[in-house]
Order: sequence, then C-alpha cells, then structure tokens
Amino acid sequence: MESMARPNTAVKIILVLMLLFIAVIALFPFFALLLASFKPSTELLRYGLNLKLQAHLLSFKNYIYLFQEGAKYLIWYKNSLVITIVGTILSLFFSSMVGYALAVYDFKGKNVVFILVLAVMMIPMEILMLPLYKLMVSFKMINTYWGVIVPIMVAPVAIFFFRQYALGLPKELLDAARIDGCSEFRIFFNIMVPLMKPAFGAMAILQAMGYWNSFLWPTVILRTEDMFTLPIGLSGLLTPYGNNYDILISGSLLTILPIIILFIFFQRYFISGLTVGGVKG
Amino acid sequence: MENYHLNYSINTQPVPQKKKIRRNILFSQKIAPYIFVSPFIISFLVFFLYPSISTIIMSFQEVLPGETRFIGLQNYKKLLNPHFYAALRNTTIYTIWTLIILIPLPLVLAVILNSKVIPGRNFFRSAYFIPALTSTIVVGVIFRLIFGELESSPANMLMKALGLHAQQWTMHWGTGMFLMVFLASWKWLGVNILYFLSGLQNIPKELYESAEMDGAGVFTKFFRITLPLLKPVTIYVLTISIFGGFRMYEESFVFWQNQSPGDIGLTLVGYIYQEGFMNNDMGFGSAIGIVLLAIVLVINLIQLKFTGAFKKEG
Amino acid sequence: MLLFTLTMTVSLLLSGCSSEASDSGQSGKSSDGATKLTLWTFVEQHAKFYKYMADEWNKKHPDKKIELQATTYPYDDMHNKLLLSLQSGVGAPDIADIEISRFSNFLKGKPQLVELNDIVEPVKDKIVQSRLNIYSKDGKYYGIDFHVGATVIYYNKELLGKAGVDPNKIITWEDFKEAGKKVVSATGKPMITIETNDLWSYWPLIVQQGSDFYGKDGNVTLDNEINVKTLEFLKQLLDEKIAKAAPGGGHHTEEYYGFMNKGGAASVVMPMWYMGRFTDYMPDLKGKMIIRPMPRWTADGNRSAGMGGTGTAITNQCKNVKLAKEFLAFAKLSREGNIQIWKQLGFDPIRWDVWDDPALKEPNKYTEYFGKDIFNTLMSVKNEINSPTITENTPKMNQLVVQSVLYKVLKEGSLSPKQALKNVAKEMKKQ
Repeated sequence: MESMARPNTAVKIILVLMLLFIAVIALFPFFALLLASFKPSTELLRYGLNLKLQAHLLSFKNYIYLFQEGAKYLIWYKNSLVITIVGTILSLFFSSMVGYALAVYDFKGKNVVFILVLAVMMIPMEILMLPLYKLMVSFKMINTYWGVIVPIMVAPVAIFFFRQYALGLPKELLDAARIDGCSEFRIFFNIMVPLMKPAFGAMAILQAMGYWNSFLWPTVILRTEDMFTLPIGLSGLLTPYGNNYDILISGSLLTILPIIILFIFFQRYFISGLTVGGVKG
Repeated sequence: MENYHLNYSINTQPVPQKKKIRRNILFSQKIAPYIFVSPFIISFLVFFLYPSISTIIMSFQEVLPGETRFIGLQNYKKLLNPHFYAALRNTTIYTIWTLIILIPLPLVLAVILNSKVIPGRNFFRSAYFIPALTSTIVVGVIFRLIFGELESSPANMLMKALGLHAQQWTMHWGTGMFLMVFLASWKWLGVNILYFLSGLQNIPKELYESAEMDGAGVFTKFFRITLPLLKPVTIYVLTISIFGGFRMYEESFVFWQNQSPGDIGLTLVGYIYQEGFMNNDMGFGSAIGIVLLAIVLVINLIQLKFTGAFKKEG
Repeated sequence: MLLFTLTMTVSLLLSGCSSEASDSGQSGKSSDGATKLTLWTFVEQHAKFYKYMADEWNKKHPDKKIELQATTYPYDDMHNKLLLSLQSGVGAPDIADIEISRFSNFLKGKPQLVELNDIVEPVKDKIVQSRLNIYSKDGKYYGIDFHVGATVIYYNKELLGKAGVDPNKIITWEDFKEAGKKVVSATGKPMITIETNDLWSYWPLIVQQGSDFYGKDGNVTLDNEINVKTLEFLKQLLDEKIAKAAPGGGHHTEEYYGFMNKGGAASVVMPMWYMGRFTDYMPDLKGKMIIRPMPRWTADGNRSAGMGGTGTAITNQCKNVKLAKEFLAFAKLSREGNIQIWKQLGFDPIRWDVWDDPALKEPNKYTEYFGKDIFNTLMSVKNEINSPTITENTPKMNQLVVQSVLYKVLKEGSLSPKQALKNVAKEMKKQ
C-alpha cells in the first residue's frame, strides 16, 4: 500500500522506534526464559528472577540433567510431533473441503451448516468433556493418538478461514472447468486447491501450533508416560509441592525453540501465505 | 480421470450403469456440496451434537457415580450467586479489553508494516508472530517469574524505574486483569497483524493512486480507503476474538491455577472447571456451560447480523 | 487419488506409531509372572517411594511379585482424570493418591473406591485415629494417609535471639504476641507470616481449638465464635505489624521461599511435612530453624492439629484387589513402610508406634537442618492432634474460605472477620 509512501525522516524514526519497542516486549520473555534456563533452580526460587548476568551462576547443568534424566522428554517430543503432523494434515484436508463448499456452492441448508460451524467454533471443549470422554472410551481410542486427533480433526476455525478465503476465488474458472467437463471434485482438487495454496500455508502453521500446544484434551486422553505430549509432560513438573524448575525451564525452552527456528526458516513463505491471498468475507 | 474416480465409488468395477450414476453424482452441483460438507456433518453429529445433548440432560441432573437423578431447574437456580457474576463480569471485561487492544493496534501496525519505506519489516513481522507459536502453559511459567511479587522481579524493577510502586500483580483485581489481557495481547498481536496484512494486500493500489491524484492525505486515505476495505478481515478478527475471549481459560490458569483470591481471575470456563471437576458437580458445571453457550451464541449472531457476514459476498 | 493416498499414509503413520492401547485399568501378568499394578500420583517423590516399596515387596514375596507402574500427573489433571475415569467406569488405575481436599469428591454418591477396613482394622490402635476418619464414609475406610501432618511452629532462632526471646517460654498465643512485639522492635522483621491465599495459617488454628468449618454432625459451623475470634486475632497481628501477609499469598510460592530464606520473618506455622520445603528451597536457614509445638489458646489447650494429607485409595476398577490391598498395607500401614515414609519423604508417619524407633533418630537431611529432637516434639503432642472434619462439600468450603474470607479480610480488608465468615457460612448452608 502506498498510503505511507515517503513520510519524512522524523516520522520514520518515530515509527521504527515504536516498532522496536513492541518487538522488545514480544521477545523479552524468551530472553528471560533463556537466561533462567542457565541458572540453578535454587537461585530462581530463592531470589526470584533477576536479569543480572551473574556469570558464576550460569551453567549448562539444567540441559545436561534434561538429557540424562530426560529420556522421557525425547519420547514426549516424538509424540507431540506425530500428533501435530498427522492432525494438521487431516485438519487441512477436511476443513478446506467444507470451507470451499460453503463458499462456492448454493445448496439447501447452507446457512444452517455455516451457523453450525460458528456454533462449534465457540464451544469450549471443557463443557463437552465428560460425554466426549465416554465416547472415546467406547471407540477404544483412550491412550491413542487417534483419540487426541479425531474429535478436533474437522476444525471449525479452519473451515471458517477457508470459507472466507474461497469467497475470493474466481468463479469464472469454476464455470470454465465445468464446461470442460471436469467433475466437481476434480475442480476442487486440481484447480481450486492450488489456488488456495496460500491459505493452506497459513492454516498449516496455525493448526500445527494448535496441536503442538494443546493441553487439556490430550491430558484426558493420553494415559501412560510413553504417550504423553510435551505440554503434559512438562506441566507434570509443576507440582503443588515445589516446582521442578531445573527441567521445567530448560525443557520449555527446547519445546519452543524448534518451532521458532522452523518459523524463522519458513517465515517468508508463511507470511506471504497469510498475506498474499487475503481474507475476504 | 478414471483413477481419480475410484476414490469416490464403493465399487471399483467399471460397471457401465453404475458409472453413469457415479458420473451424475460427481458432476452434480446439487450433490457435490453435500459430499464436501459431509466430514463436518459427521463430526458435528458425533463429537458435538451428541455430547451437547448429554450436557443439556446433565444440566438438569445431579450427577453422582452410580446415583444420577433429575433435579429440575435446581442447577440453574444455583447460578444466581456472586461467583457466577464474578466469572461473567471478568470474562466480559476481559473480552472487551482484548477487543479494544487486539483490533485497532494490529490494524495500525499492519498498515505501518505494509509500507515499503519501513526498514526491517520482515524482522518485525516475525518478532511479533513468535509469541503465538508458544504454549500459554509453558510461557505462563516465565510470565509468573517476570511478574513476581518481589521487588527484584523484572516487572517491579521497571515499575520502580518509572517512579511507580512495586505491585503484587496476582493479588488485586486490576493488576490481575492487566496480566491476563497483557498475556493475551502479547500472544495474539502478531497473528492479528498477519490477518490485517493479508487484507491490505487485497486492496488495489489504483485506489490509492487515484486518491492521491485527488490530493488525499495519509489520514484521508486511511479512513476513506483502508478502513472500509478492511471490513471483511476486521469481521473475521472480531468474530474469533469474541469466541476466544469468552472461552478464555489458560490465561487465568497460568497465574492462579483455578484458585484466584476473591475470584479476581475466575472466568466462565474456569468456573465450569471448578464446579464440574474440582467440586465433582458435573450437573452444575453443565448448567454453567449451557448458559455460556447461550450468551456467546446470542452475541455472535447479533454481531454477524449487523456486520452482514451472511451475505454471499463481503 | 489424493484422498486415497492421504488416508493410506495417515493410517500407516499412525498404526506404525501408536502404542498398544494399554488401558491402565488392566492388570495382567507380565512375562516373569509378576502382577501388574498401576498407580497414579501427583507428587514425583511419592512415585519414587512406591517404587522403592514395590522392590522391597518383591524381595519378601517372590511368590507374588508385582510390577508397579507409577505415573505422576499434574495435581489438577490427576484428580480430574481420576474423576472422569471413575464416573465413566473405565480407565482408572488400580491405586491412586488423592489429596485430602479433593478426597470427599470421590466419596460422593456411591464411592467408586474399595473399602479398606480389613487391612486397617488390625493396626487401627497404632494409628492416629483422626487420620483414618478423614477418609471414611459410613464407618468404612477408603484411604490411607502418608502422614499425620502435625502442625508445628518453625522459629528462626537467630531472629528470636536478637530480640532476646526464648522460644521455649512462648506457651500461649498471648505470649506469642508479646514476643512478636519484641522481635519487631528489635529486628524490624515480622514475627510471623500469614497466608492470604491458602488455609494453612487459619485452619490449623481453629482445629487446634476443637472447632472447624463443619461440626462433627456435618453442619456448617464456619461462623461460630471461636472461628470469628481466631480470624480477628490474625487480623490484629497483621494490623499491629507483628505479622506480615505471606509474599505470593502463601507458604508455597517462589516469592515466599525467597523472602523467608533471607530471614524475612521470625516464625511460621505449618505442618511437619513443610520441612522438605525448608531443606529444598531455603538452604540458607539451615541450622537456624527449630521446631516447637504451636502455642496454646488456653492453659490446657491443644498444641497441634493434623493438617493436609494424601489418602491412597484402591479403585473399584482394580482387578487384583486382594494383592493391591496387601501391597498398600505393606507400603503405608506396616512399621517398615512408615519408617521409610520418614526416611524418604520427611513426613511424620501415621503410626505413632514408630515415632520412638531408633531409625527415626538416624541423621538425615532433616535432622541436619532442624536438629535431632524433631520427634521428641512430636511425641510430646501425640494426644493433642485433632484432624479437620471433612464433608462432601469440603472442597467448595475450602475454596470459599480462601477466596471470600481470608483474601477479603486479611488482604483486601474489605470485610470484617465476622461479616466475611457469616456470608460464606450462609452460602454453604444452602448447599
């Protein structure tokens, strides 16, 4: 957009300073976490967190401990990865189909379906947990990856996003393809899905984030330590009888780090994914 | 083509008649949308409608292991208590704050970041987005340390540097609300910026160019072109923010673990959790859930009606 | 083709990775003939203790070995998960630790726990009786505790010394208050800290006087005279600056550990099991803290109260109830089990007949920190340990006392003790 074109230098400096200030706020907790991860937990407990770089206190002990005592930690990592990858793929597949249909077709009950999507979107899972849990038991999905993924697989937020996105797809292409004798499904998979690539890119990251960080539902479903995901395992280190800060902080950092690296690596792609096409509604 | 059809037919034998029907189905603009939305319908029926009905039934029951009985409207009558009001008030105020902060601020930032003259735009976009990648539960640990009560905690050091008093952040209603809103804003700012950026990219440049020819200034362009054309994205962000606000739970959990003093951090979902799980009163918990559901449904329907999201085109 | 490939890939991926749906309720035999028992707890140290006891069990009973699978969950999650599992009749473990303030949730309706009378009765007379009653319903016992949770007072003798106060001469709470004034004027430090976000400063003080939130008959007695007066006393201590509200709101917060470790206050009232927090989180106070009985309220009043606790229960989904019971009795009711509870966990075990066992005098990190006379103190108050009355509504009551009484009276100062207690009593009577 050109509306900000050629502002004078003073305005530019003020704007950049403001942006920097917000960036500092956004990144500060990570810096604090990084610093804390090198400090002994007794120090943190005794004096709280301070930002002094007391060189004599800093050490890699927490990390060494994490990998020596933390064989479990790697298993949790693997579980989180599997659930995130599989869950994200399935969510994207189903949600894009539904969202697309809601945007491009006129059919009886369309508005009803759309309202239902919105309704599901705003239901906190906590409300439905007991009956859902019973359902999972009868499906024999307790303590399995499926149990975590299946109930949230058709993600209403993603449906909503894809619908908004698909509203902006060129209808002319649709008609042209029909005249060429393509089936409705072929139109979707071969023509529309490629057009919605940016939306897929953006939703992939958002959905993956959701799975990677989800906490409450996996806690209910996953039973044994060898099936735990990272948030469950790590929060197990927070006990009312004194938090186990040694592993908790270094473990938390290592949970965040790969996503950040991945994001920085792919950020160009991702940001353009969210921004190129844009949300239309 | 043939290969492709296989997936949608039960019988993969190319029997001519069946193939014809299949062709009809596959080509029918009437039937196709139903197949497309079927995953949602199934998921809705199994994982939403059924549990919802169970929840509604439970809200009229006293649910005890081995001894469930109907108690009429008693659970709903119990709702008229100060804790429910506190939860409702906290949740509403929290939602309003997140709307006040998380819509205008990212919008303005997106406009700035969209301008090519700002150096390091990509850096800022990523920096703002990174908080969204983290789990609230995990980040809460470090937030609690930052906003510690001791004079030496980073937040209190900052307060003192600004000439203010050190605060017991988690002990008062005002500062408690600040913590929750701050955590939410910190986490979601970057995501909303991206939504708005995506909207900005869709505004045709020619509009600005012609406005400039008419001698429009920065602000005129912003209010006359940018804002109106961002309406669809704004509606989307508004909608998800309202949902997010009313179902908020983790932001409160990380600071108080369901036990906030004087209910300063109690939210509606937190109240469901407290009554349903901590006090083993699933019936009452369900009743709170049903009321929450009703509130959110009404607010959103009003909002969507007003902003016209049901219209076919934005 | 896309759909097909996708489903195939996904199912391959998942079937390749998902572990056998080993429902934790199942207890089969493992290859070496040991019986599997599953156990949930919310404290890592408890899990270690159980594993140790399981090894000991296997040494003694090679004919009926057990393979103990102990899992530690976060506090809230474990209790909620257990509730869900018991409500729906599937997925519960064989044995579970249940914290005292949640325990009554599990006794609502028809308890889904196994009655333990047959293992409790034989040793009943050697156990502090009130510790059994808190986990019982209609005369049936459902849980076995780790500890008595005898409440004591921890004095910082260095601070007291500076003010010339002899802790052994503090007999009543009035004495305590007078001594507190001296400490404050001599050191500038408060005499005691009071929790505003938790119950450990208030509850023991009223239980000590034979009062409670509920009467023995289960009626709400929250706003009785003793309770009002005790709360007024605490408020007075705060108003006169003899006491300070605990930083962080309670004695289990990081802020508090930091504050106390720097010699922030001259004393704190907490149960015996709080020793571990001193040794682990307040290392600078080593050798400076001593343990004494609580001051009395009247000349012949009690000097302690049994507070906190974790009842270990066997669920009705257990398939080897007999073996689970035998193991539980071994781990938590036997003499050696109780000795290990002290040695490994630093708790005051529920069997008072081990308190004078030489094993409890052996040096360990607790005796090094607090001195060797820990159990002498405990023996001296043996008959003065009441436990709270627990009812079905205890979880809610405790929550309200914290949120709507202690916070509003001691922190906000927005309500008088009497008014705050009356309000909550009224609300709870409606339950």
